[in-house]
Amino acid sequence: MQFHLDQRSGLPMYLQIVQQVKEALRLGLLDIGDQLPTVREVVAELAINPNTVAKAYRELEREGLVDARQGRGTFVSSTLIASSLEHHESLRRALLAWLAEAQRAGLDAESIHALVSRTLREALDRRAA
Amino acid sequence: MAWLTWRQHRPQLLATAGLLLLLAVAAVVTELPIRAAYHRHALSSCLPPATRSGCELIVGHFRSEYAARVGMTRYLAVLPALAGLFIGAPLLAREFESGTFRLAWTQSLSRRRWVLSRTLLLALATVVAAALVSALTMWWRRPFDDVGGRIGPHAFDVEGLVVPAYAFFAFAVGVLAGMLLRRTIPAMSLAVGIFVAVRVGVETLLRPHYLAPLHRTADSVAQSARGRDWILENRLVDSVGRQIPTAREDLAIVHAQRARVDPQDYLLSLGWRRAIVFQPNDRFWTFQAIETGVFVLLGALAVMATVALVRRTSA
Amino acid sequence: MSALLDTSALGKRYRRTWALRDCTLTIPEPSIVGIAGPNGAGKSTLLGLAVGLLEPTEGAVTVCGRDPRRDPAALADIGYVAQGAPLYRGFTVGEMLDFARISNPRWDQPLATELLARSSSATQVSALSPGERAHLALALALGKRPALLLLDEPFARLDPLASRELLRLLMEGAAEIGSAVVVATRVLTDIERVCERVVLLGHGHVGLDGTVEELLASHRLLTGARRPLGRIRGVEEIVRERSSGRQLTLLVRTNGPVADPTWSVEQIGLEELLLAYMAPEELPSPQPPEPSRLRWHG
Repeated sequence: MQFHLDQRSGLPMYLQIVQQVKEALRLGLLDIGDQLPTVREVVAELAINPNTVAKAYRELEREGLVDARQGRGTFVSSTLIASSLEHHESLRRALLAWLAEAQRAGLDAESIHALVSRTLREALDRRAA
Repeated sequence: MAWLTWRQHRPQLLATAGLLLLLAVAAVVTELPIRAAYHRHALSSCLPPATRSGCELIVGHFRSEYAARVGMTRYLAVLPALAGLFIGAPLLAREFESGTFRLAWTQSLSRRRWVLSRTLLLALATVVAAALVSALTMWWRRPFDDVGGRIGPHAFDVEGLVVPAYAFFAFAVGVLAGMLLRRTIPAMSLAVGIFVAVRVGVETLLRPHYLAPLHRTADSVAQSARGRDWILENRLVDSVGRQIPTAREDLAIVHAQRARVDPQDYLLSLGWRRAIVFQPNDRFWTFQAIETGVFVLLGALAVMATVALVRRTSA
Repeated sequence: MSALLDTSALGKRYRRTWALRDCTLTIPEPSIVGIAGPNGAGKSTLLGLAVGLLEPTEGAVTVCGRDPRRDPAALADIGYVAQGAPLYRGFTVGEMLDFARISNPRWDQPLATELLARSSSATQVSALSPGERAHLALALALGKRPALLLLDEPFARLDPLASRELLRLLMEGAAEIGSAVVVATRVLTDIERVCERVVLLGHGHVGLDGTVEELLASHRLLTGARRPLGRIRGVEEIVRERSSGRQLTLLVRTNGPVADPTWSVEQIGLEELLLAYMAPEELPSPQPPEPSRLRWHG
């Protein structure tokens, strides 16, 4: 798989990698037993710090999604397809309800967007720290 | 390391080889008629201690015929200086000018090894080239040295062991100058300046005294008497050994000419003689060994100073 | 195990001016460290001391526990690319690699050739573009498999594309050999995306030293109405103060959340943060030009 990074997203790079792996797991692009690109491959592709990739892979390992096998690489050990898809619909409904509430409170699309992204960033920051 | 040294100095080394080849061809071409004349006139039978009649005339004729060509060999004395100019001076100066010393000094080799191996390899090449030039010159000058000797500077400076020694010294001084000045052109100037000063200084101040010179009193008062020795002093003295001032000599000659007497006979009749101080021709190899020692020592000191400076430099 | 790079009270004086003074730094493990600072801040001097080209005037520097000037064995652990990436101009790329192979017992020829896969080994060094030169110089340093890689202004004179290519090669090499990388640069944007730690030098002194995360987390930009300044809760130190009209902008170092509703609190980028430390004095507010005089300066 290939990663792409957005330096302006405000999201730490290692988290962007973590999220993209999870996204691929959710969409079924990665399956159990598949190998993630090696640290060196990612680094050669994206020109980023090898420690950043290593940190992302450690995070994925900590969450039980991948397995690092000494000297052979990092392999997918679990998948997110089932767990996430079944929740998508209910979460989407909750979000729609919240959006309706926000509009009633007088927020326009721009303010809603700003509020969501700020809250998301803070939440992730807190989790990262 | 040998490859690296060769690769970095390829142009100079190739130019040196080309120069050698050119010299060899020129030497052979110009020498052949000289050798032919030498044998035609049977000059070998005129060499001391032989006393063939009419030799003075034959030798004189032979020498004057080729005087211009023999004179040319004096210019070979500049060749060792070229080693300092074009091989020695740029060796370190160019590394400083291009900043590549920062590359070279940050590899895994010690600076000492780096500078020593390059210096010694190039010194070796320089010495070999100079030795070849020297051997070639000796072969070429052989007929003239046989009749005229080779202890005098005209031959001594371009023959024997001293030529490689001069070249080594010039090279080492060039390297040191490059280290001190860090720029090629100024280093070349400094190297040549030091080389010429030391060479001239040694030749005029030291060489005449390597061994105590000999003294001889010539029966003749003629000044042009030329043997195979290196004449250091040739003075006109009276019967008790006091020097005759030039003014007095001139006066005596004028006096003789007025009286229509041969001036030589007149001066002899006054009891005047020529007192000659000289170094005999057979001291050639002894002097060569001593002078070689002097220049090898000076060159070695320059190399040691360079190594110490390279190791200590903070730049 | 000793630190990859360790300096203590390191100082270097040229005649009367100190190029670097009282510099104490430790790089304990492989990481990517940016040395930032304006021209003449002492970046090159620090690197030159670390690789043994320069003799310290005071203090000490060791690489993997060894003094690079006294112990030539230390040189094998250091990869160094000097400013301007000096190379032998008359050599071909292949001959430069031969040079490095001869000069380094631990030389890794396969790695170096792999990193240089894109340029032909028969090309003359003098015919290389600035980007290719920088590439070659970096490959020569990486081929030593050093524990510590020191790069002095590697991105100067490179266009953005060549800079990115060089950074990619640098990261690939660092991933392969696991070395610490120290990059001295005026323009931090070149390495911002990879840099884990920043050391800011100014006038020969260490002005700031910390991980990028720490630095970004502990600095905030406060904007509010102009007023006499008292203590602001959560602010430890005001780094820079700028005012224009009725507005006041503060760059502050924080020691907790700034929970004061009269200030708008924003994150600050690394580049701007370092610039603020480089030129902390208050500058006059730029006067907006009159509308009729506006010109397009493309």
